[in-house]
Amino acid sequence: MHNLYVPHLMTIEDVTEEAPDVKTFHLVFKDEKMRENFEFETGQFGEYSAFGHGECTFCIASASSRKGFIQCTFRRSGKVTDALYNLEIGDTIGFRGPYGNTFDLEAMKGKNLVFVAGGIGLPPLRSLILTVLDNREDYGDITIVYGARTVKDLVYKDQLKHWAERKDVKMVTAVDPGGETDDWTGKVGFVPTVLEETAPSSGNSMAVVCGPPVMIKFSLQSLEKLGFSRSDVITTLENRMKCGFGKCGRCNVGNIYVCKDGPVFTAEEVAAMPNDF
Amino acid sequence: MESLQSKAKELIKDASVAVIIGYAAGTKKGKTKPFFAYSEEDCEKLIFTPECVNNLTIYLTRKFDFMKKGKVAIVAKGCDIKTINVLIQENQLKRDDVVILGVSCEGVVDKDVILDRAELTADLPEDKKSIKCITCDVNTPSDFDHLFGEGVESKAIEPMTGGIYDEVDKVRGMAQGEKWNFWMEHFERCIKCYACKKVCPLCYCDVCITEKNQPQWIETSAHERGNYAWNIKRAMDLSGRCTFCGECDRVCPAEIPLNLLNQEMAKLNYEAFDGYRAGYQTEEKPPFVSFKEDDDEGFIR
Amino acid sequence: MTLKLLKEDGLKKLIEALNKADTRVVGPKRNKAGMVTYDDVNADTELELDEVIGRYSPKDAFFPQHETVMRYKLDGKDVHVKAETPVIKETVLLGVRPCDAAAMISLNKVFTWDYVDTLFTERQKKATIISLACNNADESCFCTSVGFAPDGTEGSDILLKKIKSGGYLAELITKEGEAFATTHKSIFENAPAKADTVAIAEPTKLDIDIDRIKSWLDDKEKSWEHPLWEQLAAKCVGCGGCTFVCPTCHCFDIVDEPYGDQGKRVKNWDGCQFDHFTLHASGHNPREHQPQRWRNRFSCKFKIYPDRFEKKGCVGCGRCIRVCPVNLDITEAMTEITQIAK
Repeated sequence: MHNLYVPHLMTIEDVTEEAPDVKTFHLVFKDEKMRENFEFETGQFGEYSAFGHGECTFCIASASSRKGFIQCTFRRSGKVTDALYNLEIGDTIGFRGPYGNTFDLEAMKGKNLVFVAGGIGLPPLRSLILTVLDNREDYGDITIVYGARTVKDLVYKDQLKHWAERKDVKMVTAVDPGGETDDWTGKVGFVPTVLEETAPSSGNSMAVVCGPPVMIKFSLQSLEKLGFSRSDVITTLENRMKCGFGKCGRCNVGNIYVCKDGPVFTAEEVAAMPNDF
Repeated sequence: MESLQSKAKELIKDASVAVIIGYAAGTKKGKTKPFFAYSEEDCEKLIFTPECVNNLTIYLTRKFDFMKKGKVAIVAKGCDIKTINVLIQENQLKRDDVVILGVSCEGVVDKDVILDRAELTADLPEDKKSIKCITCDVNTPSDFDHLFGEGVESKAIEPMTGGIYDEVDKVRGMAQGEKWNFWMEHFERCIKCYACKKVCPLCYCDVCITEKNQPQWIETSAHERGNYAWNIKRAMDLSGRCTFCGECDRVCPAEIPLNLLNQEMAKLNYEAFDGYRAGYQTEEKPPFVSFKEDDDEGFIR
Repeated sequence: MTLKLLKEDGLKKLIEALNKADTRVVGPKRNKAGMVTYDDVNADTELELDEVIGRYSPKDAFFPQHETVMRYKLDGKDVHVKAETPVIKETVLLGVRPCDAAAMISLNKVFTWDYVDTLFTERQKKATIISLACNNADESCFCTSVGFAPDGTEGSDILLKKIKSGGYLAELITKEGEAFATTHKSIFENAPAKADTVAIAEPTKLDIDIDRIKSWLDDKEKSWEHPLWEQLAAKCVGCGGCTFVCPTCHCFDIVDEPYGDQGKRVKNWDGCQFDHFTLHASGHNPREHQPQRWRNRFSCKFKIYPDRFEKKGCVGCGRCIRVCPVNLDITEAMTEITQIAK
């Protein structure tokens, strides 16, 4: 009798401090079979346990094309994230998943892709970006526009450098006005503004947006200005979750369950939702 | 109820208040409901009968937005006004911000009592009254801006005796182990719906302790520990503040005798703090939120 | 549909036989506080079959109010985890109201939606539901207004109908019901050609059209920001009583309860009417105000359940109406919307 609520055990093999209060865990299943066989698709999330404190929902931030490990990135903001934040290499956490729907890689093949992210909104997109880059030849131009409040708040700083160094990726990094340091060489401006300045072409393109609600709202407007249609713009929603599999009744937006029908949605689908998130 | 309705209309017409919080006929026999009158037409629905059991002062608290609309009028029985006094004591309400439409009351119906038409105008028999009414000494409200209904003289009762207090004494007479079992058996039925705190005007914390999880002071589960912790904690928080409006007892779906629990605490306060009773003053602070150097500390062991 | 007869002492004999077989019997019983709920029954004399309906629904027979799902023990850097596998006895739910039996079918849809919650399904599999048709309804009952009936068979294995002269007519609805009657064939006797059963209750038919309500809810522009939600639910105190007594409400919370270096993970009933139900750690709350929360509950019953599970979300048992401290009457909303949506 399979008990849906029991998590798999994972060891924290590495911890990276991405930004103040933000950490990335590199996780490996304790069970050998799980290590070998675990699969997920980019966009999906999991419920991560800090035993004794509870569970928390994060996307899987590593590439779905890489096996044997997963990564998650989170900001310390409440009871469970606080407990997770205080864990060290070698400690054990729990994992339930993968849950949720996925980014439609097939639909993206052959298209130019524009990734727009703000702050702690980059982790959900990172899985997608890494998976896409692992099969670079399947996709057209790739533009990444990423911004955070200050230089310190940028996550995946090393990753951003690698992406900037790649000839086949256009990487635009920005910080909010006032967030720049003396030696900052990137852009200064809010993400939607920087996006419009970067002006990626909307021809044969799809855009994926993730970040704070306000950033998403204005980025969607910017993308519309640049000629992107709503069905070609994708975003991920988050809502308070507990079970992750559609039963606890907490994450619904009208009749849409974020954990089952999402977290990946097109801008068209989001526009059709009632104001319930 | 003509004069209540006409006064209400007057207050709306001359914009003295933004809304009248009162009672209207309910959808089922024997029930009334809280009603918010914003127009003169609305005012025609206002009633006051022995079925008007709700303590409407809950709508004056920060749990709702009514006070943000401007000055508010409220239909209040003597027991409800006691709650208003505590809200004023605790700086949750300014007397000037509320127009009290006081109603004389001979008693309201007990839980699940349904009166038939004839009984509504006749005197309510004692056995149909809510237990709080048996020992009521505020049949005519102590404070009001306007008074409706014929003056009712309260019975001369010594405070903390009769009615619920007979039951309080009975429990006090139990041996320690017996008393523990008595309460644990009741708490066993608690389903942690928190209807008690939601309906209580004095449970107005922005973030309830049950919602605090770093650490989880009161477990949310409906097991022995969680139920005991919650019920005792709430009784402690109400100690010296509860005005015996009886709402928590009325709404508890598990029939936990919350009146008994809270009035035990009220009687203790009366005995320990020079006859202090919640709801009868607005200046003096409740015992547990004030400290005087000459406070009796004999009970601290 | 096969008909059988339970003689006057039929229930007594049945419960005795079930006790002997170590089968759990759950039925309407008056507790120490004087209220009737579905609880463990050891003798037919404990059954309160004349009560219109119990305060709580029987959903906790399959979906307990508080349940341990897992236990863990911290061991240095390691953690040991053990799934909770409750021992579930064969159970007979006896004297269930037809509305409650139908609600179990709706609940089942949620708990088997793609992921099968075995904590629910194992309990449901091991239960036989013997319903009792209603001879009395009160003012709050409205099953016939939402497409159910006091003698409805949906969700029941066997439906009992009280006979005027004593005993019950038993309609064997499902294969499980038939098998059950065969197992207890000395108690489920052959039915007479005619049986004079007590008249079935006739709850007042309300002017409600749930299809029209659904269409209105489907039209986001018309319904989502309608002033009706504020008008009806401004008085709601958010006590959550309605969600706990409702037979189709299924929201729950998952929390860890540590006890030193070990503990358990538990699943507790929760409700969308609680103000922190949808609160994010960031402080953002999609449903900040009570009318928004009430709108969600109403939509869940009349739109979300049919949309996602093709089942009705409300069976008309009336419990929410009876228990509400401020007389927030769901039928009042339904009647008003039926009018608005004309």
